[in-house]
Amino acid sequence: MKQKIIFFIIVNIAALLQTTVLNSFKIFNVKPDIILISIVLGSLSFELSWAIGFSIFAGILKDVFSLNAFGINTILFPIWSFLIIRLSKKITLDNGFICAASVAVITVVNNIFIKLINFYLGNTINISIFLPTLFLECLYTALVLPLVFKVVNPLIQSRE
Amino acid sequence: MFLLGAISRQTKGIIFYHRNFIQNERLKRENNFLKHKLNNAQEAYLENERLSKLLAFKKNTPYKVVAARVIGRSADNWSSLVIIDKGKHEGIREGFVAINYLGLVGRVSYASDFTSKITLINDLNLGISAIVQRSRQEGLISGTLGNFLIMRYLPKDADIKATDLIISSGLTERYPKGLIIGSVVSVGEEFGGLSHYAMVKPAVNLSNLEEVLVIIP
Repeated sequence: MKQKIIFFIIVNIAALLQTTVLNSFKIFNVKPDIILISIVLGSLSFELSWAIGFSIFAGILKDVFSLNAFGINTILFPIWSFLIIRLSKKITLDNGFICAASVAVITVVNNIFIKLINFYLGNTINISIFLPTLFLECLYTALVLPLVFKVVNPLIQSRE
Repeated sequence: MFLLGAISRQTKGIIFYHRNFIQNERLKRENNFLKHKLNNAQEAYLENERLSKLLAFKKNTPYKVVAARVIGRSADNWSSLVIIDKGKHEGIREGFVAINYLGLVGRVSYASDFTSKITLINDLNLGISAIVQRSRQEGLISGTLGNFLIMRYLPKDADIKATDLIISSGLTERYPKGLIIGSVVSVGEEFGGLSHYAMVKPAVNLSNLEEVLVIIP
């Protein structure tokens, strides 16, 4: 239970950092998605029900602080969480490279879904802006993942 | 004499080693404390400069404005927005225009009781009707999510060149006429060759925004 409380606080801190501090670390106006990293970490560390719960909460936080139609991330994040848990049963995600590659793929798919939903809602994103931003975001998020794991893993994996 | 002085200094250094060590530690702590104070003073000075300019602008502007601080930014990379610490309680509503002493900042896209979200002018989905101040050529300014704006739908013979000042035309709802948007950096031809576009550098540094003024109509 203690690890779950700690992780809940970590998700809140991730959202706070995403909207404040990370703006100072933008590369070509792109910042990593540490909220997405936190749900990947939650999916690898907790059982299904808790992972989905944390994903929904993280999705709500991200929707509150963005201009997208409310609910996009709230719906998508639990889906990615579920898929990560299913994938972790098929292949090992302990390897840092495989985990980073999984996060990169999830970032790409997540943003493609967001673009499609925005397109359906009438908010178009020019493809010449979308593709470079997508590529940079997935690369940056994958590169930041090991750092976040290194910091957060000891806090939630310990003392069982 | 010189040799005697040097030997004396070295001897004192050995004899008073512990005293010097303690003094060194104390001086390091004091130095760190003073650096921290200097940094705080520098921050206060810079904030004072910004707020003085904002206040001077607020006094001279014909609009009724509410000043607000930026407390957060968008969580994703697909929208360009800032969150400010004023909301409906201070009279802010959706659609109100945000400016600062340098120029146009954006528009309020959502207002809750105590906070509001402002879509910045470099957001992809915000379009503003604008004119070139010199030639009065009309166009539409939209964002690119980056550091520049793009002014579209310029005819092939449009009188526009680099360094021209772009201002709001007043044709877009709630945007008063004459608000400075930015200055032209370059002019190019659209794919298809039927019209021109201009890359515009915003007058306001949107990545360093710390305070805004929201115009209350």
